[in-house]
Amino acid sequence: MTRPFLSIRNIEKTYGRVVAVQDVSLDIAQGEFVTFLGPSGSGKSTTLYAIAGFLQPTRGDVLLGGKSLLSVPSNKRNIGMVFQRYTLFPHLSVADNVAFPLRVRRQPKAEIDAKVAAMLKLVRLETMADRMPAQMSGGQQQRVALARALAYDPPILLMDEPLSALDKKLREEIQIEIKRIHNETGVTILYVTHDQEEALRLSDRIALFNAGRIEQLGTGHDLYEKPASRFVAGFIGNSNFLHGKLSRSDRSITLPDGTAIQGVALDKVGPGQGDVSIMIRPDHFRLHNGEAAPRLVGTVTDTTYLGEYTQLTVLTAWGGALSVRLPPDDRASPVEKGQSIALTCAPLDVRAF
Amino acid sequence: MLLDFNRLGGLRVALSAIAFLVGAFLLLPIVVIVLLSFGSSRYLQFPPPAWTLRWYEELFDNPDWLASFATSFEIAVVVAVAATLLGLMASFGLARGRFPGKEALRALFLTPMVMPVVVLAVALYAFFLRLQLNGTFVGFVIAHTIIALPFAIISISNALEGFDKSIEDAAVLCGASPLEAKLRVTLPAIRSGLFGAAIFSFLASWDEVVVAIFMASPDLQTLPVRIFSTLQQDLSPVIAAVSSILVALTVLLMAVAAIFRRGKPA
Amino acid sequence: MTTMTLTREAAVRAPRRMAGFWPTSPALMLLTVFFVAPVLGLLLRSVLEPQPGLQNYVEVFGSTTYLRVFVNTFVVATIVTVVTLMLAFPVAWFLAVAPRRWASLLFAVILLSMWTNLLTRTYAWMVLLQRTGIINKTLMGWGLIASPLPLINNLTGVTVGMTYIMLPFMVLPLQSTIRSLDPATFRAASLCGANRLQVFTRVFLPLAVPGIGAGVLMVFVMSLGYFVTPALLGGTSNMMLAELIAQLVQSLLNWGLAGAAALILLVVSLGIYAVQFRFFGFKAAGEVE
Repeated sequence: MTRPFLSIRNIEKTYGRVVAVQDVSLDIAQGEFVTFLGPSGSGKSTTLYAIAGFLQPTRGDVLLGGKSLLSVPSNKRNIGMVFQRYTLFPHLSVADNVAFPLRVRRQPKAEIDAKVAAMLKLVRLETMADRMPAQMSGGQQQRVALARALAYDPPILLMDEPLSALDKKLREEIQIEIKRIHNETGVTILYVTHDQEEALRLSDRIALFNAGRIEQLGTGHDLYEKPASRFVAGFIGNSNFLHGKLSRSDRSITLPDGTAIQGVALDKVGPGQGDVSIMIRPDHFRLHNGEAAPRLVGTVTDTTYLGEYTQLTVLTAWGGALSVRLPPDDRASPVEKGQSIALTCAPLDVRAF
Repeated sequence: MLLDFNRLGGLRVALSAIAFLVGAFLLLPIVVIVLLSFGSSRYLQFPPPAWTLRWYEELFDNPDWLASFATSFEIAVVVAVAATLLGLMASFGLARGRFPGKEALRALFLTPMVMPVVVLAVALYAFFLRLQLNGTFVGFVIAHTIIALPFAIISISNALEGFDKSIEDAAVLCGASPLEAKLRVTLPAIRSGLFGAAIFSFLASWDEVVVAIFMASPDLQTLPVRIFSTLQQDLSPVIAAVSSILVALTVLLMAVAAIFRRGKPA
Repeated sequence: MTTMTLTREAAVRAPRRMAGFWPTSPALMLLTVFFVAPVLGLLLRSVLEPQPGLQNYVEVFGSTTYLRVFVNTFVVATIVTVVTLMLAFPVAWFLAVAPRRWASLLFAVILLSMWTNLLTRTYAWMVLLQRTGIINKTLMGWGLIASPLPLINNLTGVTVGMTYIMLPFMVLPLQSTIRSLDPATFRAASLCGANRLQVFTRVFLPLAVPGIGAGVLMVFVMSLGYFVTPALLGGTSNMMLAELIAQLVQSLLNWGLAGAAALILLVVSLGIYAVQFRFFGFKAAGEVE
C-alpha cells in the first residue's frame, strides 16, 4: 500500500460526557471492501457518519486522497451511501431516483438517461424503471438505492446495515449482488454490519468495533484464528472460555482439573498475570487417541447430529460445560449421551488472554 | 364479541337505532335549511307552500353580501398561505431542532387553538384599537393567522414526523444542497400535510366568527359577521340561501379531500 | 493543528445549543407581538383599571349577578358534556364495528356537520326551535301540545345547539380509541368467564377511558368558553361567561372587569387542559381533524 486512499486519523466523537468513538484510526486502499463490525453502540455507525459528514468529529481527521474531508459539506463530498432504512424518494419513480444525483449536478439529459440505464442494468432492475418505490419490495428498494448511490461514480460507497431489514434468504441473495457489483465497479466500499457472517462473507478486511474503539483490524481469517483479545474471540464464531493458571517456569497452563497444556502462545498475556482465560473453538477439539497432547476428560450430556458435524455438550470434571463439534470422521464410533470421553486439541489452536 | 358487529345480538339493533337517530339529528338541520332556501315563505314555513329562487336573487342583488363573500375569501386565502408558510418553518424547528424550551414553544404554538376564542378576541380588539388595525384587512389576516397556525402546525408536524430524515440525508449525499434537498425531496414527500395545512387554515379563517365580530367595521365585514349581525335582527330566508351555498362548498371540499386521499398511495 | 481543531470545534458548538431554533422565530415573533402581549395586556388591565388593586376580582366574586353567570356557565357546560357523551359513545361504538359502508356513511354525515359553517348550524336550530318553527308546528299538528313550547332563548335552546356542535368532538377521539382496541382482549375476557355486562364494565369501559377523557375534557372546556351559540340560542337570564366578557367590553366598556372575567375563564380552561396533558398527553388536543 503506497499512499492510503481513505485515511481515518484519530477520530473521536463525544456527546457531553458520553464517548461514542475514541481514537479510531484506519487506512483503506482503493478498491478495498472494509467492514465495520460490532455490537450496537460500538461506534461503527458514528464513524461512518463522520465520513459522510452527518456529524462533525470532536477530534481527528478524515482524508481522501490526502485531502481533509471535514471542511467539505456532505453534498460536496461526492460520497455514495446506502442507508439502513429505505431512503428512496417516495414521490419519484425508480429511474428518477437514480437520475436525482445527476440532475442536481446539472448533467446533460442524454448522459443522465444513459447512466440511469447502465445503473439499472448493474442492479438488474431494467424492467422496473417506471415503478414507484411504494410498489417495490424492500430488497428491490435497496438495489435501487445502490444504483442511485453509484450513479455519480463516487470514489467511496458507504453502506450502513443496508440489509438489516430483509429476511435471511433475501439478505444472502443481495450479498452476492453486492460482491458482484464491487468486483464489476471496483468502488471502495465501507460497510457497517452487526452480522459477523455477513462481514466474513463480503469483506477484504474487517474492523471489529467495541466500546468506541477498533478492537482488531484484519482479514476474517485473522480475526477468527488469531483474535487479539477476549472480546474478539467471543464475538467472532463460537468459543469456549476456560479458566486456567499460568505457570511462568515451564510456560504451561493448568486447567481446574489439573490438565496441563503446553506450548500455548502467550503474547496476549500481560506480564505478571497468573490467572488466564483460555479460548478453544468447538471445532478445534478432537477425540483423544492415546498420544501425549493435553487430555481433557468429561461426560457427554447432550449430542445433536447435524450432518456436517455432531454437536456435543461435555461436562468437565470441575463442572464447566464445553461446546464441542466433532467432524464426520469421528462418527465411526458414535458418541452417546452419558458416555465419558477424552478430548484433545492442538496447543496452537488454544489462545490465552 | 363486543367488537364484532354480527355477534352483538340485541345490542346491534340498539346501536344501529341510536346511530341512525344521531345521524338524522346531525343531518336534519342542514337539509331543512337547504330546502327552506328554495321555499317561498318569508317566515320559513315548513314544508314550504311553494318553491322559488327569490332569496338567491335577493342575495346576488345585494352588493353587501357579495362584498362579504369576497372579503372572507380574500382574507382566508392570504391566511392559508401565511399560516402554511409560518407553520412549515415552525414545524421544521419543532421536529428537527434540539434546543432548550422546545416543548414549551410547541405548547405556546398550540395554545390559540385550545384557549377560549373570546379572550383572544377581546385582547386583540383592545390591542388593535391602539394600533388602529380594527376593521382593516391586515388586522383580520393577523388575527386569523394566529388562530389558523396551530392547525397548520399539527398537520405539517404529523407529516414531517412520518417522514424519515434519512431520505433527506440521502438527497444531500447525492449532491443536493440542504435547501435543494428540502425543496426537491422533503416538501414533495410531505405535500399531503401541506395541503391539509392550507385547507384547515383556510377553513379556520373562513368560518371564524368571534374575533371577526369584534374587529369588523361597517366597511369591512366578513361573511360570518354579516350573518351574525343579520341573525340578531331576524331569521331572513336570505341567510338560508347563504347557508345553502356554504353547505354546497363544504360538500365540494369534502369531495376534493376524498379524491385527494384516494389518489395518495397507501 | 491544535488551534485548527479548536476553532472547528467552536464553530460547531456555538450554534449547537440553539440548533434548529431559527425556523420557529417568525411564528414566535407573530405570537409574541399579537398573542402573548395582547392577552397579558388584557389580564393586566384587570388589576390596573380603573385604579390599581384587586377591586375587580372583589366585584366579580362578590356580586350575585356575576356568580350566577359562573354557575350557569358550569351548568350548561356540564349538561352539554353529559348529553354529548351519552349520544357519542354508542355512535363511536357503531362507527368502530359496523359494516364499512354504513360506518363511512355516518362518518361522512358527522364530518359534513362539523365542517359546515358554525353560523349556518346555529341559524338552522334557530329556525327549527322558534315558536312557529318546525318542531313546535309538528308537535302541535300531532296534538301532543296545545301551545308552542319555549325552546329557544333558554337553557333548552343552548343545550340542543351546543350538543349539536360538540358531538363530533366527542365522537372522533372516542371512535379512534375504540377502533384501536384488540378484539382478542374481549375474547380472552369472556373465556375467563366474564359475561357480556362484565366484559363491558370491566374491560371495554376501562380501555375506552383515554378516549372518553379526551372527549369529555375537550367538550367541557370548549363549552365553557363558547360565545356564538349561547349568544344566539340562549336567553338573557342564562348568560354565559363568554357573553359576559363580550358585553363588558362592547356595551359597558368596563375593561377591568372584562380582564378579570377573562383571567378566570383562561385559568380554568388552560388548567383543565394542563390536567389532560398530564394524563393523556397532547394527542387528544390535536385530534380535531
